[in-house]
Amino acid sequence: MRASDIIALAVRNLRESVLRTVLTALGVSIGIASLVGMVSFGVALQDQVMGSFLRSGLFDSITVTAAQSFTGRNRRPAGPRLPVMPAPARPAAPAERPKLDDDALKTFAAIDRVKEAYPDIRVPIEVKFGAVSEMTAARGVPMSARNEGVFQEIAAGQFFANQTDDACLISLEFARRLSDGEPGDLVGKTISLGYMLTSQPGSPDAASVPSLVPGGAPGGLQIQRAERPFKIVGIISRQAGLGAGLGMFSAVMIPLAKAREMGGADLSNPQALLRQLADKRSYATVTVKVQGPQDTEAVEQKIKDLGFSAFSVADMLQNQKTAFLLLDLLLGLVGSIALSVASLGIVNTMVMSILERTREIGVMKAIGAGDGDVRRIFLIEAGIIGLAGGLFGNVLGWGVGRAINFGANIYLQRQGAPAANLFMIPWWLIGGAVAFAVLVGVVAGGFPAARAARLDPIQALRHD
Amino acid sequence: MDLAVDVRDLTRHYTMGQTLVRALDGVSLSVAPGEFVGLLGTSGSGKSTLLNLIAGLDRPTSGTLKVFGHDLAGMTREQLSLHRRSNVGMIFQAFNLISTMTALENVALAMMFAGVARPARERGARELLGQVGLGERFSHRPRELSGGEQQRVSIARAMANQPQILLADEPTGNLDSRTAREILDLLRALNETGKRTIILVTHDAQLAARCVHRSVTLVDGQVAAEASV
Repeated sequence: MRASDIIALAVRNLRESVLRTVLTALGVSIGIASLVGMVSFGVALQDQVMGSFLRSGLFDSITVTAAQSFTGRNRRPAGPRLPVMPAPARPAAPAERPKLDDDALKTFAAIDRVKEAYPDIRVPIEVKFGAVSEMTAARGVPMSARNEGVFQEIAAGQFFANQTDDACLISLEFARRLSDGEPGDLVGKTISLGYMLTSQPGSPDAASVPSLVPGGAPGGLQIQRAERPFKIVGIISRQAGLGAGLGMFSAVMIPLAKAREMGGADLSNPQALLRQLADKRSYATVTVKVQGPQDTEAVEQKIKDLGFSAFSVADMLQNQKTAFLLLDLLLGLVGSIALSVASLGIVNTMVMSILERTREIGVMKAIGAGDGDVRRIFLIEAGIIGLAGGLFGNVLGWGVGRAINFGANIYLQRQGAPAANLFMIPWWLIGGAVAFAVLVGVVAGGFPAARAARLDPIQALRHD
Repeated sequence: MDLAVDVRDLTRHYTMGQTLVRALDGVSLSVAPGEFVGLLGTSGSGKSTLLNLIAGLDRPTSGTLKVFGHDLAGMTREQLSLHRRSNVGMIFQAFNLISTMTALENVALAMMFAGVARPARERGARELLGQVGLGERFSHRPRELSGGEQQRVSIARAMANQPQILLADEPTGNLDSRTAREILDLLRALNETGKRTIILVTHDAQLAARCVHRSVTLVDGQVAAEASV
């Protein structure tokens, strides 16, 4: 029997009972609409979150630390603590441990696909503003961070105009600690930053200032106190969402060049102090920015080959993708509940249809239809119900989703939040939903079709 | 040359509730190609059971069952459906036309299962409907046709795939006597001009005598009498 004839016969049979066919297909479309609606919500959510991740600038950066500490123990870098710190794979310690110094920065910058490499510098400071005085740390921010991560939106004021001004950005929380007034009013005001300046013995500025440590710091390190006025140019609010605050967010943020000038003498722990004694200038951590998230892995490996420890949050992106896959799967499962009910509708329709046409099946068998022919006719019938339901279900799902998105955005706007697209039907979802509907139809039709195929023709011919 | 039908010691038993029914109980029968044989007997004598076995709609319990040399007893379901499709044509008492299809479509349906393309099927169906005297009424549905006309469509359908043997199960049972005679005359004509082997099951010996070469009477699943006309 020809495939075209099977389809024609199946369509003909469906048209004989239009109402039943339409109702069954409508059941399937409601199932598909709920599936499409659910998954499209998941997809849109993923798009929103992943998009903000990628814009956060975290996925194109690699954090580099010196391979091992002096003691060789399991030491954490003294730099900013990152929330995710997978144990870096330790390469076999080379005889000469590479130093994370300015030479290393140049080496990193020269690696293919690397945009820039800069040290992560935190300067312990004492902030004075009017009567308020507070100890905190100033974070060195490279000019390239403009419009990235937390600097995408600035609550008041603006990003550093250049890296030579004594300008600073402060966090919204810190602004509230400094002043009871409107935080935005602090923009343009000047705060005083007091910090420790270290210098090696013999350097020109070392002798000029008396050491704060009686008898001099160990090894002859000179430490002096300095104070500088900084103009507040902007207020940064930490955004909600994972990763938004990572890396450069701090109470006070100053241009990286300023932070370098101010020495970054880390006196917070003895190890850091010791390292500064041993090396002329080395950093606890260095951030290497690559051209795009896809370059992270290769560059990370190259840096590791140089003998440094390196890690990136790109692995987190992968985890996040897996998490979203699970979410989509879960949403899909919930959306499939209606579809599973609809599939029972198909089974019911097909069983009824076969019962009604028992005699007809007997006749067809008597005049030469094979078991396979009969089975295929009914499978195709069920498949066509699925197909019709799938196609209309997409239309229905699209309409319902649009309506929900419209309503949700009215709500968002009333709440003062920016409009967001919470509904997204990619082509794979449309095609997948239709294919799934056909599959559901064929599977649901499988049992009735098999029953029809096995009918005894003599019994069937006697059937009224 | 193979016999059209070669049946030896054929039995067909089945259980109905607790009792064993011997529908056929050791039947032997030979039908030569081109022969027109009447199977006579009262209801329950086993004549329809024998016809269904020859048609490949049922399987024997034991015995030999050959149609044009093909042993039906050993056939798979698929082989049996092929046998029904190409070797035999069935004509029923209740016509068994598909009510939602026109006369032409009913005849063409049998060819559809044989994989004949649509234009060829329709041409063949028109020709066959012409042969049975329904040249004008091929676009009517069964309920728009008289009983005699419906049976003619059914005969045309039985011949759709040029079977070697036609099996008619009480084809005149639902018809008035005049129409019944017309249908039997048509079958006789098909036997004479087309050299088709025909087995006619009927309880009406008088009607059968109009057309059959030989009549075989079954009683309680056994051959009770044979007579050439």
